[in-house]
Amino acid sequence: MAEYELDCMGEACPVPLIKAEKELLKMSVGDILIIQIDHSCAMKNVPEWARKQGHNVELEEVDDGEWEVVIEKMK
Amino acid sequence: MDIRKNKFYKAWFKDAWPYITGAVLLSVFQIVTLATTGNPWGVSGVLANWGAWFVELFGGSVDKWYYFSSEGAQATLANGFFKDPGTMRNLGIIIGALFATLMASQFKIKKIKSKKQIIAAVLGGLLMGYGARIGFGCNIGALFSGIASMSLSGWVYAIFLFAGAYVGSKLLVKFFM
Repeated sequence: MAEYELDCMGEACPVPLIKAEKELLKMSVGDILIIQIDHSCAMKNVPEWARKQGHNVELEEVDDGEWEVVIEKMK
Repeated sequence: MDIRKNKFYKAWFKDAWPYITGAVLLSVFQIVTLATTGNPWGVSGVLANWGAWFVELFGGSVDKWYYFSSEGAQATLANGFFKDPGTMRNLGIIIGALFATLMASQFKIKKIKSKKQIIAAVLGGLLMGYGARIGFGCNIGALFSGIASMSLSGWVYAIFLFAGAYVGSKLLVKFFM
């Protein structure tokens, strides 16, 4: 169970989503990916996409306009 | 009571509004705009006028510019910044967006991550601005207002908008991934 981090601060949509997609391909089932974002549309489309893929997703608001998307790879 | 847990605060200010709410509101605003000002909604044309007023502020003149040569454009410019409905609308968008992000406590000045971002933003802004002027409108004035006025040009705009977005997303993946 490895933990990966992806710093997407200052990146606009859809860059965080595409980066998350690529990162998840490298990971094994059960691994955790933490994506740091500060673009409000990424806090909608990244969790939406990951849930549709069947992964466990949690969204945390860490500061004003900053979020962490935690994805547990399920398959 | 913690306002962050209040369901009305969450629905109104914190969470993004559903697309359908946005669509209905945009339609209502379009109708109000057309009814009160006599012109459909436009955003980027107003910015061109802001540019003209900016030039005039420093003693310049755009009277001889082809783009501003029509009577309508001259009348708008002569009327001034504060008497232009489009100016009020655009200021409203900016102030409203600031209000919304402050109410959601999501205001943040983002860091610039790379020089690439600056180049892409400047190039993209220039292309969009220039394209919107020679296309007689942006995605509001030409697309939304065009289609809402049953104009074929709005649909033609839509086709090329998609073509541009396709090319743009390929470039984005090439340069930013």
